[in-house]
Amino acid sequence: MTQSPGEAVAADAGEVFDLGYQGYEGERHGRWQARRAIWRDGVRTTLGLGRGIAKKVAPVVFIGLMWLPAVIVIVITGFVSTFGGDTTDIEGPTFAEYYDWAFIFALLFSAVVAPELLCPDRAQDVLTLYLVRPVTSTDYVAARWLAFLTVMAFALWFPELLIFGWNALSARDPVDWLSDNWDEVPRFLAAGGLLAIFFTTLALTASAFTTRRPYAAIATIAIVAISAAVGSIGADAFSGNVGEWSTLINLILVPLSVSDWIFDVQGEGPLADRVYIIWLTALISGVGALLWSRYRSLGR
Amino acid sequence: MTALLSARNLSKHYGSVHALDGVSFDIEEGITGLLGANGAGKSTTLKLFLGLLQPDSGSADFLAVDGDDPVMARQRIGYMPEHDCLPDSPPAAEFLTHMAEVSGLPRVAARVRATDALRHVGLFEERYRPIGTYSTGMKQRVKLAQALVHDPVVILLDEPTAGLDPMGRQEMLDLIRSTGRDFGISMVLSSHLMGDVERTCERVIVLDGGTVMRTGPVTGFLEETETLVIEVSEGEQALVDALAARGLTTTLVGRSLTLEGASGDDYDTVRNAVVDSGALLYRLAPERHSLTEIFERPRDDEGDA
Repeated sequence: MTQSPGEAVAADAGEVFDLGYQGYEGERHGRWQARRAIWRDGVRTTLGLGRGIAKKVAPVVFIGLMWLPAVIVIVITGFVSTFGGDTTDIEGPTFAEYYDWAFIFALLFSAVVAPELLCPDRAQDVLTLYLVRPVTSTDYVAARWLAFLTVMAFALWFPELLIFGWNALSARDPVDWLSDNWDEVPRFLAAGGLLAIFFTTLALTASAFTTRRPYAAIATIAIVAISAAVGSIGADAFSGNVGEWSTLINLILVPLSVSDWIFDVQGEGPLADRVYIIWLTALISGVGALLWSRYRSLGR
Repeated sequence: MTALLSARNLSKHYGSVHALDGVSFDIEEGITGLLGANGAGKSTTLKLFLGLLQPDSGSADFLAVDGDDPVMARQRIGYMPEHDCLPDSPPAAEFLTHMAEVSGLPRVAARVRATDALRHVGLFEERYRPIGTYSTGMKQRVKLAQALVHDPVVILLDEPTAGLDPMGRQEMLDLIRSTGRDFGISMVLSSHLMGDVERTCERVIVLDGGTVMRTGPVTGFLEETETLVIEVSEGEQALVDALAARGLTTTLVGRSLTLEGASGDDYDTVRNAVVDSGALLYRLAPERHSLTEIFERPRDDEGDA
């Protein structure tokens, strides 16, 4: 007796169901669903979720290092207060200083992990399977960019939120403390978000030009390290305007100067804050445009 | 028959190389073979329909869905590339679920479809293994599964049997045939192997040097390309003359006569000629042309001229 897929067939022993291949008659979503699926896959890839232990090592180590000072401050103050000590003398890093500390680990995290989002898809040509679906290469790379930005921003914001919450809860009068310090929240969100955009754009653009993850990681670190060295040498070697303007080459100084401006603290850069702001905006826009044009050309 | 895909004056050049040179054809429902030697323009044709390449001139349209958004139209097209295109790390079930979601299916439906597709291609038990641990044949099946996981109207298969051993090749062709005929999903099978097209397809489009050489049903195509071989122990010249008297021109090599383009009626004519000429028949059998021979024959357009 023949039966169509899914059709129940009465038999002496009961009903037999053929669960073979069946057509799909249900709902189909649009391009936003496709972009969201790529974003979610990117977040999982960044964190190594659903992958082996080896893929989890780098995100756990580098995010752990970014969070370490916050955890140490909380553990020490908690320990001291538990034994009746005075915690007011314990000074943790300020919100602005925290990003100075986290900068190097955020750089290493982006350099090592961001290539996972782009390089394997091109090396194994999985990108072709994306581009024959209802997404463009721009959709794909934008979703990947946003996925890494999501994790990076969370990794930078979380310890600041932790310290902020801990300080509020451990203050003698939490309400007073919050009313005095609430303006730190938008500042560390803005500064962390800016640093996350900087690292994400730089690392993904380096990853867009090679299929080998180690090359992309080395390129990202080298760009920042060499630019910082050249910028510092320039600032020391030349006096006057040339020395001051050569600090714009320094890709550590520039984002941290803008971060300091957001926190309203004195930065290390000799130029006016607005120069660093304009230059960082131009840098991120230019590097982002390079990433976008690279994927546009791959999608053709 | 409804046309699903339509090419009109389609041209694509890579520098000075003409991959496609003004070809026009329609691909209808069912299983269609795109046959041609390496470099004939098969993969380029598929990529133009998928939007992976832009034509230099002409158009490659997907007619099966309403609307004028070529990106959204890809929700109903599946593609199985010739080359490796699968990630190593994720399990097949997870990868197919993701691909179904990218094609627009809700998450729960995508999971169900991924399992169904993997069961259909015979990988249900292996679905949670990382794809990197699969054999070549299993990877080919995953490639087919990802092409049909979102229930497309048509699937474009680029050399689906490439790299498979004879057993794996037969299984893949059976799978393609069952997917196409039992489940109503139209297929376009690109291959340089005539045997694959013969065994699987209902219609064929033969490409050569970036142009359409001939199109039509595979059955008609095979009739056209059938050669009758008549081997005799003696009396070969008498048989040649007897056939000539009946209007059939043969080529004699040794004691073997070949009759090009033989139809069913010609068998009766040959039988009568053998009897009348007194030749001693040793073997009478149809012989199909090799791909090379087909390409040496006059083209459709030349024949029309």
